[in-house]
Amino acid sequence: MSTLSILIFLPIATALFLFFIRINIQIVKVLYMVVTSIILYVALKLYIDFDPNAPMQFVEYKVWIREYGINYFVGVDGVSLGIVMMNAILMPLIAIALYKQRDKHGYWIHLLFVQGGIMGAVLSLDLMLFYLFWEIMLLPIFFMIGLFGYGRKNFITMKFNMYTILGSLVMLIAILYIAVQYKEQFGVYSFSLFELKNITLSSTQSILVFSGFMLAFAIKIPIFPFHTWLTETYRSAPTGAVIVMSALMAKLGTYAIWRFLFTLFSDTSHEVAPYFIALGLFGLIFFGISAMYQTHLKKMFALSSASHLSLIVVGFFIYDVYGLVGSSYLMVAHALSSAALFLMVGMLFERTKTHYIDSLGGIAKVAPRFALFFAFFALSIVGVPLTAGFVAEVLIILGAFNYNIYIGFITATTILIAMLFMFKVISKVLFGEPNEVTKDFQDLRMHELFALVPLALLVLAMGIFPNYFIKNIEPTAQFYILEKEAPKNDK
Amino acid sequence: MTNELIALLVPGLLLFSAIFILLYGLSTSYTKEKGYYMTLVTLLVTFILAVSTISEKHSIEVLPDIFNSMLVYDTFSATFISLFLFGGFLTLAIAKSFIDKTSYFTHESFVLLLFSLFGMVILSMANELVTAFVALEIASMSVYVLVGLNRHSLKASEAFFKYLLLGSFAASFYLLGMMLIYAQAKTTNLDGIAEYILHTELHSQLLIVAGSMLIMITIMFKIASVPFGAWVIDVYEGASLPITAYMAGVFKIAVFAFALRIFLSDYISFEAIYDPLIIGGAVVTMIGGSLLAVIQNSVKKMLAASSVVHSGYLLIALASIEVSNQNAANAIIFYLFAYFISALGAFGVLSYISKGGDVLITFSDLDGLAKDKPLIAASLTIFMLSLAGFPSTIGFIGKFYIFTSAIEAGNTLLALFGALTAFVSIYYYFKVVVHLYFKESVHLSVDYGYKVSLAFIVISAFIVLWGGVGTSLLFDIPGINELNKLTEHSIESLGL
Repeated sequence: MSTLSILIFLPIATALFLFFIRINIQIVKVLYMVVTSIILYVALKLYIDFDPNAPMQFVEYKVWIREYGINYFVGVDGVSLGIVMMNAILMPLIAIALYKQRDKHGYWIHLLFVQGGIMGAVLSLDLMLFYLFWEIMLLPIFFMIGLFGYGRKNFITMKFNMYTILGSLVMLIAILYIAVQYKEQFGVYSFSLFELKNITLSSTQSILVFSGFMLAFAIKIPIFPFHTWLTETYRSAPTGAVIVMSALMAKLGTYAIWRFLFTLFSDTSHEVAPYFIALGLFGLIFFGISAMYQTHLKKMFALSSASHLSLIVVGFFIYDVYGLVGSSYLMVAHALSSAALFLMVGMLFERTKTHYIDSLGGIAKVAPRFALFFAFFALSIVGVPLTAGFVAEVLIILGAFNYNIYIGFITATTILIAMLFMFKVISKVLFGEPNEVTKDFQDLRMHELFALVPLALLVLAMGIFPNYFIKNIEPTAQFYILEKEAPKNDK
Repeated sequence: MTNELIALLVPGLLLFSAIFILLYGLSTSYTKEKGYYMTLVTLLVTFILAVSTISEKHSIEVLPDIFNSMLVYDTFSATFISLFLFGGFLTLAIAKSFIDKTSYFTHESFVLLLFSLFGMVILSMANELVTAFVALEIASMSVYVLVGLNRHSLKASEAFFKYLLLGSFAASFYLLGMMLIYAQAKTTNLDGIAEYILHTELHSQLLIVAGSMLIMITIMFKIASVPFGAWVIDVYEGASLPITAYMAGVFKIAVFAFALRIFLSDYISFEAIYDPLIIGGAVVTMIGGSLLAVIQNSVKKMLAASSVVHSGYLLIALASIEVSNQNAANAIIFYLFAYFISALGAFGVLSYISKGGDVLITFSDLDGLAKDKPLIAASLTIFMLSLAGFPSTIGFIGKFYIFTSAIEAGNTLLALFGALTAFVSIYYYFKVVVHLYFKESVHLSVDYGYKVSLAFIVISAFIVLWGGVGTSLLFDIPGINELNKLTEHSIESLGL
């Protein structure tokens, strides 16, 4: 088996194996650590062997359903590399931070399963294969919320599941539609991304199919107005699931915009870009302001996530090297910071049994280490200099100014909205006088530090030496821009 | 063995063993156990015989001198016969505990099962309208009685009577339609009718068009499509679980087999006239079935109602069959196979955990089953995912083919509507999963025993998964590609 197949199938196979073999929970945890560490090792090797200037690498191609031209076709390039690395890095860290609290087999099995599913979705270059993994990664989250969630979990997990599947099914019809168009134009079925992009569609067809895809991605991200599942789902979900959703799955939605929409409907994406930039900027403000009024920590961070994801969408639709690189960079940066923050919210809840901002306070006095990390990650989300978020946001703003001076101005000012709610949280949760709930707050323990320190170092490294990371993304972005401009020159 | 011999041997064996059990059942040395295993062995042997002829394309008329080309044995019928026999076998194998624990599975019930299978086998070979009618009635009559097996249950008697009355009424449309067709075409042979249609102008074929439509009403009744399927909930509810599984999984397929044959040979010329009707039928069937399924609180009734929805998906494909492009026909066979294995599995799990009880299994009866019996819960979940068309199961591949063929035929909106129906179906299928996994258990732990039945359930679950992702690249087991090839051969063999 080659590298990418190991990344996809090792976690899934382990999950299946663990489902059938009922063994001691300690062994399950050890096995989880071993497998995710192997994945991390393989991913690191992939990162080192990755050649920034080659287009699609480590490609694997096997026939799956012959008659319909569906193949097992995977490969990695500069954009997918970021999510693959995040997926590989975050999964073992979740285990380090949570291994003491979670004593159910299902928790770890589902996490392994979702890791494989996300790897598959990120690496697929065949649309049916992508659809398969895109749906499969939903199941573990559905189960995790239902089994280990809080509150009205059954209703909420069902709503989340159905909302997401609605988008997926519309996307499925869109995929089938372009496949049939391809057959009519070229005589054979194919679901390969690189072959499908050769089809010619009328502008109406193109817009309709584009919307079919976009609906699925918009729900997953979520883009305004498809966000109504978001806050309740994040509130109910257990820490592991929240981290996966906010740090990885939401990013997958934005990634898919680039990978599929920009490749397949290059012209249409360009035409509709202004609307999505407007929608993204509106979402940025709307979610930001909604976040300010939240009293529930998880809901607040959910909206803050959504606000930043809107920014990523804006960066993509600006469609310029700075925008693309900036957004890809922000995907990774935000994944690191939000994963860390949700982990810390989980720790907070474990110690205080509350998620409400108003009932907290004064943690900085009793738990200085916790306060330091919490403030650091919160600030890195805002985009304070020296953190990864800063680099990404500067790039996106540059891109926005290149696009249009007004858009640039609006983007630059609205990014500041994150400060409003982040500073509110920091001041209310960390400072002030300790109260009944927080006076016995225990500071970070060793294993929690082990999980958070690598994340913090990575955020700093990405903020201080951005070139080392950007050099892997930039050629891919350049390639897309060139491709976008190429047909124009022909005309 | 030649194909002709097998074509005679399969129904012959079924008939022989049915009559043998009928007589042997009167003797004092008969036990339920013996009858059960005799039936099982008969089904296994005939299945092996039938399945040995599906690997290649072939088509022969069975004893043309005696039967006057009424019966045709081709890959198409061989495929379907194998499906029925496998379905019958699976139903019985899973229902072992149910049969052991109830008193009403007498020797006649095995006889009736074999008779109904005999009817279906003939139905799938019938190339002539009268033969098809007789075969359909043999199968239907046996199923009517099987529905009412449990004489002491009021519900079962009601179901039996309702089904018998409505079923016979619906069958009369068939007779009328056949008469009209004969009046004009002067033949009841499908090939003869096809030839007549080909050589006559469309405007002067009023009787054939009308007659075909009447026949279609009977078919629509049997597959329980709205508005002809009003009987389905009551009958499926009243019948005991193994019989419900048998009706939903096997009998429906037999009707579709005949529908497909008559469609591809005759109706296809009237495509322009019938397509709007079928599309309308598909839409109301999907809407009606979904509405029914959403409001049920018993799992059995929910599955019954959702089987209506699945008929709707099949009608989408039926409407998408074109003269130039018969991919949709392949899609129907594939979907039938997918639905067959998933529905048998799902009903099988219910009959396994109901242990022969007469109670309706409500959603809350499944609460917390996963903690207690993870394997059963996982299998039921897999069947539910497959019925809902979730990727990585065979149900998804089936829907994929149906939607693709619909789009290919230009029915993109219909496909979109099908996808939305599938979205609604997520609700009621996942409700089962929610109850299995997320609710607290209220029942004491029970040992269900019957490891063999459980083994068959698990095997079915594996088939469902393998049909969704399987490829012969990985292991040397036939996967999706081979199934595709089979459906293609079946359809092509019709034209031989």
